[in-house]
Amino acid sequence: MVKYIIRRFLEMILTLFLIATATFFLLEAVPGDPLTQRADKLQPQSRERLYERYGLDKPVLERYLLTMEGLARGDFGESFVYAGQTVGGLIQSRLPVSARLGLQQMILGVGVGLLLGILAAMKRGTLIDYLVVGLSVLLISIPHLIFGLMLQKIFAGTLRILPTIGWPSGDELWFGGWKYTILPTLTGCFSYIAIYARLLKTSMLDVVNQDYVLTAESKGLSRGAVIRRHILRNSFIPVMTQLPMSVAMCITGSFFIESIFSIPGIGQYYVTAVNNQDLSIVMGETVLLSLLYIVVLFITDILYAVVDPRISMPGAGK
Amino acid sequence: MEAGSKNTGSAGGAEKKLLSVQNLRVSYHTYAGEVQSVRGVSFDLEEGSALAIVGESGCGKSVTARSIMGLIKPPAGEIKPGSRIFYRGEDIVQYDRKKLEQYRGGECAIVFQDALAALNPTMRVGKQIMENLIAHRHMGKQEALREAVEMLRRVGIPEPEKRVRQYPHQFSGGMRQRVMIAIAFACDPKLLICDEPTTALDVTIQGQILDIIKDLQKKHRTSVILITHDLGVVANIAREIAVMYAGMIVERGSSEDIFYRPRHPYTWALIRSVPRLDDENKAELESIPGTPPDLIDPPKGCPFCTRCRYCMDICREEMPENADFGAGHTASCWLHHPLAPKVEMPDYEKEDRQ
Amino acid sequence: MQAEKFIIRGYSGEEANRITRPTISYWKDAWRRLKRNPVAMASLAVLVLMAVMVVFGPSFRGMDYVTMNFSTKNKVPDSTFWFGTDNMGRDLFSRIWVGARASILIALVATALKMVVGTVYGAVMAHFGGWVDDLMMRIIEVINSVPSLLVTILIMMVLGNNMFALLVALSITAWCNTARQTRGMIKQLRESEYVYAAEVLGAGPMRVIFKHYVPNMISILILDASTAIPGFIFSEAGLSFLGIGLKAPEISLGVLISMGQQTMDFYPYQLIFPCAVLCVIVMAFNLLGDGLRNALDPRLRQ
Repeated sequence: MVKYIIRRFLEMILTLFLIATATFFLLEAVPGDPLTQRADKLQPQSRERLYERYGLDKPVLERYLLTMEGLARGDFGESFVYAGQTVGGLIQSRLPVSARLGLQQMILGVGVGLLLGILAAMKRGTLIDYLVVGLSVLLISIPHLIFGLMLQKIFAGTLRILPTIGWPSGDELWFGGWKYTILPTLTGCFSYIAIYARLLKTSMLDVVNQDYVLTAESKGLSRGAVIRRHILRNSFIPVMTQLPMSVAMCITGSFFIESIFSIPGIGQYYVTAVNNQDLSIVMGETVLLSLLYIVVLFITDILYAVVDPRISMPGAGK
Repeated sequence: MEAGSKNTGSAGGAEKKLLSVQNLRVSYHTYAGEVQSVRGVSFDLEEGSALAIVGESGCGKSVTARSIMGLIKPPAGEIKPGSRIFYRGEDIVQYDRKKLEQYRGGECAIVFQDALAALNPTMRVGKQIMENLIAHRHMGKQEALREAVEMLRRVGIPEPEKRVRQYPHQFSGGMRQRVMIAIAFACDPKLLICDEPTTALDVTIQGQILDIIKDLQKKHRTSVILITHDLGVVANIAREIAVMYAGMIVERGSSEDIFYRPRHPYTWALIRSVPRLDDENKAELESIPGTPPDLIDPPKGCPFCTRCRYCMDICREEMPENADFGAGHTASCWLHHPLAPKVEMPDYEKEDRQ
Repeated sequence: MQAEKFIIRGYSGEEANRITRPTISYWKDAWRRLKRNPVAMASLAVLVLMAVMVVFGPSFRGMDYVTMNFSTKNKVPDSTFWFGTDNMGRDLFSRIWVGARASILIALVATALKMVVGTVYGAVMAHFGGWVDDLMMRIIEVINSVPSLLVTILIMMVLGNNMFALLVALSITAWCNTARQTRGMIKQLRESEYVYAAEVLGAGPMRVIFKHYVPNMISILILDASTAIPGFIFSEAGLSFLGIGLKAPEISLGVLISMGQQTMDFYPYQLIFPCAVLCVIVMAFNLLGDGLRNALDPRLRQ
């Protein structure tokens, strides 16, 4: 187990290194110079100094090594566009906002989705089943973007009962200021509801037809015990594989939701940085978001082995 | 006339029996239509006795077994009205959920064919046995654990203290089937159904498993219904045999009757298709030509007629009645009608033993 | 009872082997099941309608949807402008179908790219095995360790806001899934006993490929495509909305939605119509995909 984790950890670092390298050279290929706009208005000497300050006077390879060294130290770089802004500082101020939004969506969406999935599987072939299936197709067919805009239009624009934009800050950063978070959270949670309801339902129907459920029933266990101990646990195994995808969805979803509702999170900032060609920020955030994603992949693998005893981890020693 | 309709007696007559199945009819609703898997099966089972149900795959053996366990699930599966399964005089078809839960596992247990599929892959083996004990014998966890270890020991699993904590995939095929048997016997059931218990196993293991079943049956005075397609397995355990074909019992009798005095052409063919080491004639091993009829649209006559070398015109038109040969030996075949020509039974079994 | 009915006639081989249930080929059966699914058939009808509209819709009203005309600015829907006009006086009805044409075209081409690259890559992996397989799998793993939209955005930054860039950016990560599935399917089939049996019985490689690999692959690819197409339509709309995909003089559903958002407080129809068309198209693809999954999944066959 320990050996496996160490091996996976080393692999993670290698993967991250590859991602950082690929990102660096991709951004190197972006046409134009990130400092052009700022440098245009400056005197030649100041311009040189500016380029020097960001290390852009050095050859590509040297800059690559410097960037990598910085990443290794945990220094993700500094904005080309806004002087003094670093990715590190950005994380401190913006990550909690995105994290809260993400957690709220996921808890609500996954929770409701799983409940609906169980309900649909238990009441298979009834009106409830059809309603759940219909709802999930509907929800999965409407992008975040449209949900966000529509909710904003209806609840903030027409009914004027909720704020259009903004996000709680200061003391309310993690808790409180709920009225600002309702619409963004709803926008995000719908796709989780759709995905998890469908997934759990399919998985449960699959498990229900397994012989071991028949064995459990032939033991005379109560219906509740059969569902809890035999059906649900086994049904959750395929559901777990969706965890990384859900986090990816959360990250990309945040680009849209934070843009629509002007939420000062990392998603909105990423989009702004891309549009401003603020390459160092894009670089830093790409690596950071990939790191987050890789860690989730890693956790999923471990959880998977915990839930399903058939999966033996190499080096677990049997 | 339904095959075996003479058994449609009152529940009163069935009271001395452990189990009395009367005119059981089960259908499965599929895309293609209603498959009549079991079409009027009747038989009785005395306490402590062993009955084997033999037949090709798809003949309704397993469905019969599941019906007795109360495991036919609507909406796909349906036990047709008029079917009765009396267990100690009570009709389990009419049981509500609560009573069914007490009956299953407590009174009646089942061993499935494929133990790997029949054991929950994510639950420790010990817990799967304990579940049973806690539900029916109201044991506490510690007590149930001790009993589970004891059960594993009794079915011949070495190091049971260590094994209870393992998962099914860590066991070999034969060991897994032993676990299944331990689960089935945990609550000392009166009736044990073995649905092809050895089919998925190596021949060398098969004997061991059958011995365990036989041994436990004797100790616990359990009645056993053994379901198999392998006549070789049957001879060892069952005193009585019912031969099923296309959802019906076509012949029924003691194992001597079936092996040495079979009356139905299907049984003849079945016996000839079993390889025998002691076969002095070195007769060719026979296979039964063709396939069983499709039970979505079962034939109105004898279901075996399309594959029977003694088929007559009447066979295609009408279902034969049950001919009684005494001592509980019956067969439903037109050959035993007074008008039918006398057909010599294949002579391969006459010479030896008796 | 007549005595003549009791004459032994025996059986005929043909009769014994008769199978009353007609055997239907996999594809016929799949089509039969799909036809019986009213939701899937309705979706198919909607998609056909959409295809017709996308081709003929823009010229339907015979209006100029490119040049600005401020005399007809922001008109609400009426009998002349069925979906109203945008803030530059252009007929929204025509523009939406042009936009949908672009969106669907992007989705179809990206799906085709993904399929071709994915199957070839997967087949190469499965064919060579060994270290080639390992290395190629590692590459997929690295690509899959980044949320795909990030890669798409990076590619868009490099290649600029145009149609070609968008196609490359969308398909650059999407093929990984196809490749994995292809590899898995080929490996599984190669080890399966029935393909082995076919080979032993002397079936040539071509026959094995066409009889066993292709049908299995096709159903995987159909299902893959049915989830990929709506996904690409989503991505295009999203990227264009964020200003990272196509940009204003070009017309796509994403561009229209992004323009609609700017005026949604006053002229909500400018946002609602493109959104509705997008949702209808995506939903039809999703429902058809569900139907196909049910029709093609052999485990569900009965």
